[in-house]
Amino acid sequence: MFKLLAVSVLLPTTLFATVGPEDFSVSYSFKLIPALIVLGTFVLYLLIGLLSRATSPSDYWVAGRGIGPIGNGAAIASDWMSAASFMGVAGLLYLRGWFGLGYILGWTGGYVLLLCLFAAPLRRFGKFTIAEFLGDRYDSHGVRLVTATVTVIIAVTYAVAQFKGMGLVCGWVFGIDYKHSVLFAAGITLVYLLFSGMTGVTRNQQLQYVILITAFAVPLWFLIRNAGGSGLFPPLEYGSILSGLMEGKVSPTAGGQLLGEELTGLQRLFLPWGSGGDIYSFLALVFTLMVGTAGLPHILVRFYTVQNESVARSSVVWGLFFIGLLYWASPVYAVIGRYWNPLGGQAVADMIILSAPEQAQLGPIFLGYLAAGALAAGISTVAALLMAAASAVAHDWYSTVLHPGCSEKEQLIIGRVFTVVVCIFVVVVALNPPALIAQIVAMAFAVAGATIFPALVLAIWDSGSNRYGALAGMIWGLSMTLVAMVGWMARIPLFAEGGLLSATSSALVITPLALLINMAVSRLTSDKVSEACLDHSDSILRRLHRLPERASAAKID
Amino acid sequence: MSERVTINLFRPVGERLRREVAVIRIVLLLWALIAFGLPLFIWLCGLGDPQGFGASWLTRTRIFGGFPLHYWLIAQGATIAFVLLCKLYTELLARALRKIETPWYAEAGQGGDDV
Repeated sequence: MFKLLAVSVLLPTTLFATVGPEDFSVSYSFKLIPALIVLGTFVLYLLIGLLSRATSPSDYWVAGRGIGPIGNGAAIASDWMSAASFMGVAGLLYLRGWFGLGYILGWTGGYVLLLCLFAAPLRRFGKFTIAEFLGDRYDSHGVRLVTATVTVIIAVTYAVAQFKGMGLVCGWVFGIDYKHSVLFAAGITLVYLLFSGMTGVTRNQQLQYVILITAFAVPLWFLIRNAGGSGLFPPLEYGSILSGLMEGKVSPTAGGQLLGEELTGLQRLFLPWGSGGDIYSFLALVFTLMVGTAGLPHILVRFYTVQNESVARSSVVWGLFFIGLLYWASPVYAVIGRYWNPLGGQAVADMIILSAPEQAQLGPIFLGYLAAGALAAGISTVAALLMAAASAVAHDWYSTVLHPGCSEKEQLIIGRVFTVVVCIFVVVVALNPPALIAQIVAMAFAVAGATIFPALVLAIWDSGSNRYGALAGMIWGLSMTLVAMVGWMARIPLFAEGGLLSATSSALVITPLALLINMAVSRLTSDKVSEACLDHSDSILRRLHRLPERASAAKID
Repeated sequence: MSERVTINLFRPVGERLRREVAVIRIVLLLWALIAFGLPLFIWLCGLGDPQGFGASWLTRTRIFGGFPLHYWLIAQGATIAFVLLCKLYTELLARALRKIETPWYAEAGQGGDDV
């Protein structure tokens, strides 16, 4: 069974390794002050991790369930604010202009969906993992195994993007090449994760949110001043620079005023479809990112860690507020990046949050803090992802299906071993990344949105959905998104950027079909489900929606 | 067995679920309007652009001292709207649930708050 798991994980990700559109051309030299700042924050995370060491599995996996709304909101936000949000979104906005805003729209709007449909019922269920929830609701080990596998695939894809971002930053700070800096970042993350478990990770995440949001926000004040703004509130001030760009006005160092083809190129960039997209690909991208957000295991698990369902709900509001703050800032980096470097291409894009301040002559302290923020973003997300993947394997594969009744200690060891295995695997793939950071992440979202989201919606909101429907829907969603990923790598137009089933936005077609397949198969097989299984689902649905127990069920128990 | 619970997002049974689903419907309707209606609106307005880049009065209007309106609406307007929608959901739901009498689980000590 582990072999099957390994193959299903290896398949999508090793294919990634065949395409690599960018080179990593940034100024590689050792930078003393940034290096000291980055190392200082690492030591701090490790200390906090050590001081809050996990002793029981409940501590290790879900932080003992004692976290309030603002704390949990910050934890959601910092799980969320990965290197993709921190570096990738600014990069895409730089490269694609207005069209890149689809990432912001999708990644914030998904939380509304998550809140309305999932947050409170998941807390009422209150166990460890999403695979456990779906497996229990559908009363099926098949569903449990598929969900656990999907969790691992998502974690691996997503973590590849994070390690790419962290590698770029470490390389820039320490002046080492990309390969060694990925290994360095991975080593730090792994040590930190194994020592602390979820309690330490959650505690660190609150600190990491503070570091990353300040690191992201503070340089903006200086950037906007250097570009001619007043520096009161940068997210409300870059408008004049943006409209200047649309008229070809750039920094004096870049020529002051663009003319001819360079001017029309820049003007096009900020028009809705000027950078190559159309309304279909925009809506498909937004839809995919939204359902993906609502189906991401490592975000959903956050709702198990709160005190009660009202806290679960308000922590979404706080989480989205914190996330919104970051997304208000990303376009500023992109626009100011264009101002200083109007003609840059893909090679600059993923590094724009460091290269824009560098060109604007910000001092080494700011740059170091920015780098520390980007790394905090990467570490906190990778930590949450690896936890989710490890718990999927240790909890849902090993202790529930393969080896029922194993000791808690054994479960912890399996979780730790698997964390290391996944981490090594991710590093290998990250050494040769297949796409821009934000695009790799979007693929992980397509998987989540086409498999977990439909199964979860129907698990909670359709009592007629059963195990056969769930399996059919999930297998459809998983195989189609994997086909789309392979198609993207093989550069087949249908699955490439702007295609009907683009790997980054395939859910607009696949998810509704997955919902329909789940419902149709469930209806067709409704007479095949046993009474005991129906009783089981029934009692879970009552718990999810806080309905009174059945009179006869109470006697059976 | 008619005793079994029937849950259907489109046909909620029981007062509590009906109220909850009514709130969900309002919020998701507004959500869809912002998430998909807004880009469609920008697209419709820009259909007249002969170059096909979607230029329109939206891309020519400047607000807050320089933001092109089509850019601001997505970059900041939608984000604010989504946060407010989440707040609206928690408020509406709290109000809807307050109208129902003390629920059974508060006395039975069950529900979501233990474990």
